[in-house]
Amino acid sequence: MENTQAAWPQEAQSRELKLEFSATGSEYFRIWIVNLLLSIITLGIYSAWAKVRSNQYFYSSTRLDGSSFEYHGNPKAILKGRILALVLIGGYNLAFKISPLLGLAMMVLLAVVMPVLVWRSMQFKLYNTSYRGIRFGFDGDKGAAYMHYLWLPLLAGVTFGLALPFVHQRVKRFQHSESRFGSSKFSFDATPGSFYRQYLVFFGIALVGAIVVSTAGTALGYAVGNAIAFGGAQLAPFFALIFGYLWFFSIWPLFQSRLQNLIWNHTQLGPHGFRSELKWGRLTFIYLTNLLGVILTLGLFTPFAKVRALKYRLESATMLAAGGLDDFVAGVQRDVDAAGEGVADLIDLDLSL
Amino acid sequence: MMDAPAVAARYFDGKTSRAHRVEVRVQDGVLHLSGEQERACPLAGLRVSERSVHAVRKITFDDGAYLEAEDRAAFDRLLLASGHGDSWVVRMQQSWRGALLAVGATVALLAAIYLYGLPAASAVVARHLPVQAERMLGVGMLEMLDRHLFAKSAMPAARQAALRSAFAQLRPPEPDAPAYRLHFRKSSIGPNAFALPSGDIVMTDELAELLPEDGQVMAVLAHELGHLHERHLTRRVLQGSAVAAVTALVFGDVSNIIAGVPALLLDLRYSREAERDADDYAAAMLRHNGLPLAYMEHVFEVLEKLDKSPSGYLSSHPITSERLARLRNARP
Repeated sequence: MENTQAAWPQEAQSRELKLEFSATGSEYFRIWIVNLLLSIITLGIYSAWAKVRSNQYFYSSTRLDGSSFEYHGNPKAILKGRILALVLIGGYNLAFKISPLLGLAMMVLLAVVMPVLVWRSMQFKLYNTSYRGIRFGFDGDKGAAYMHYLWLPLLAGVTFGLALPFVHQRVKRFQHSESRFGSSKFSFDATPGSFYRQYLVFFGIALVGAIVVSTAGTALGYAVGNAIAFGGAQLAPFFALIFGYLWFFSIWPLFQSRLQNLIWNHTQLGPHGFRSELKWGRLTFIYLTNLLGVILTLGLFTPFAKVRALKYRLESATMLAAGGLDDFVAGVQRDVDAAGEGVADLIDLDLSL
Repeated sequence: MMDAPAVAARYFDGKTSRAHRVEVRVQDGVLHLSGEQERACPLAGLRVSERSVHAVRKITFDDGAYLEAEDRAAFDRLLLASGHGDSWVVRMQQSWRGALLAVGATVALLAAIYLYGLPAASAVVARHLPVQAERMLGVGMLEMLDRHLFAKSAMPAARQAALRSAFAQLRPPEPDAPAYRLHFRKSSIGPNAFALPSGDIVMTDELAELLPEDGQVMAVLAHELGHLHERHLTRRVLQGSAVAAVTALVFGDVSNIIAGVPALLLDLRYSREAERDADDYAAAMLRHNGLPLAYMEHVFEVLEKLDKSPSGYLSSHPITSERLARLRNARP
């Protein structure tokens, strides 16, 4: 760390720079619906252009220290990626319908190509993001991609998940320490121990909560069932199930918030640090009300939901800048195709944070 | 052309992250920067980001340098005065009238695709797909059912043979009737009959016992042959995948479990439609062979007694009274 710090001009004050997100649900709703219509009319082809447009809207609405981010993805590259993703996922599903043996062969094929696609999609995503005219980038190589997206997940599998926190730490370390902004590398110093701690806390709360919640649900089911003379025994499991689902839905934000905080609080860019302060309660409230909104409006609330969640997650992050942000230098630029990007998009690997 | 006043902006050269304070003017279609950096470029050759109320607007140069305005509204006025227009997509996005029009058009289009487009498209695809493709979908299904749900039929061999030959002698109502294999099984799922994609038609002993006359059994078998003839299984797979993909796109962000509910409800309508088609095929087959439709009516009555499911929209089959009414209306 000493070496990197010495290379940076130290200014007197260190500043806390909050991310600001100025997008609104009502503006994004209009962008979303117009582009959804165009995507349907063109049988999905326009969806690549729609994705670029909404990304540009979100990136240009995200500001740090007065300057905004920019998205540079090429829609034709994204379209190619989406077609590849469709072929891979469609082929995978079809293979299992035709014969289990063919399905298995397809699974092996996917396992072999996925690590490269995930790695390429990271490259595409970061290369096509810029701030103050400087592009981000992602290094790493094929060997490291296989290590982190094939062999380590297999290790988590054969240890029945016991190695999962370790694998998670290694994957995040790979993602964050191979990322760069211009020619400046990010670094990551969260330990496997801190990941195990977060997983333990999460499972502890999840288990205790599940017991409490299903007991409460059963009791309430009996009470209501007896009160309306409907037979408590029938209503009890139904209530327990609903409560269980709501608990399952509320516990995911706990995991997400604790992990995002851990990961960003241990990430650095040169001398600059970050702080993430997501709160479980607030995130759960946003997710549950979003769910309700989307159901009640038959999907029309979706763009509002997306902006709400994104705004909270982004604005919980602060950059601890050691001095000014004027001294980053652009790195070597290469073009990255979107084949990886499209696949990651469709099957929703969480590559963002 | 009147020139709008210069606008303050931050310029980045694409090589370092240093912000340069500049003033931007447009004169005769040429963009001029002055201040900490001087630069001039024809506006037409630059990438101008789309107009937005809440996102920062930018102009990007070929070499990766770009500028972003501090005062968005003044920047919009400058670009407008210089003759830089918005695309029609942006104009539509930025007006509530355009957005509401898009809502209406999207809903209408999705409904039309669901009601007409998808069934028609899947019928065409299914018709052009070789029968072998559908048969592959069903490989191993009967063996699996035999292992878990079925036992050897207890029906007397003589009745089995009689039913088989009676059905084989019926002439199908339309040419190109599909090949089929008929199986009788004792089952743990009660009275039932169905067709598998492999071309296997299965009837359970429990159902056969409820149908004392051979003509009634013929009506059920004709219904199942109708499913095979119309390629319902391939069509259902195609339609079901399309519906699942779209609902996952709309609701998947929020919850995958929630996304499954509309997909299921929407798919049930296709299921009921397939049953109606198969009923029509069976009625045509009975008529074609001079058998009275009363056989089929009896089947429906038997089904009605068995049926405990409450409502039409949550059911995979149309309600029996509706099937009966359809049959009676179709009578010449």
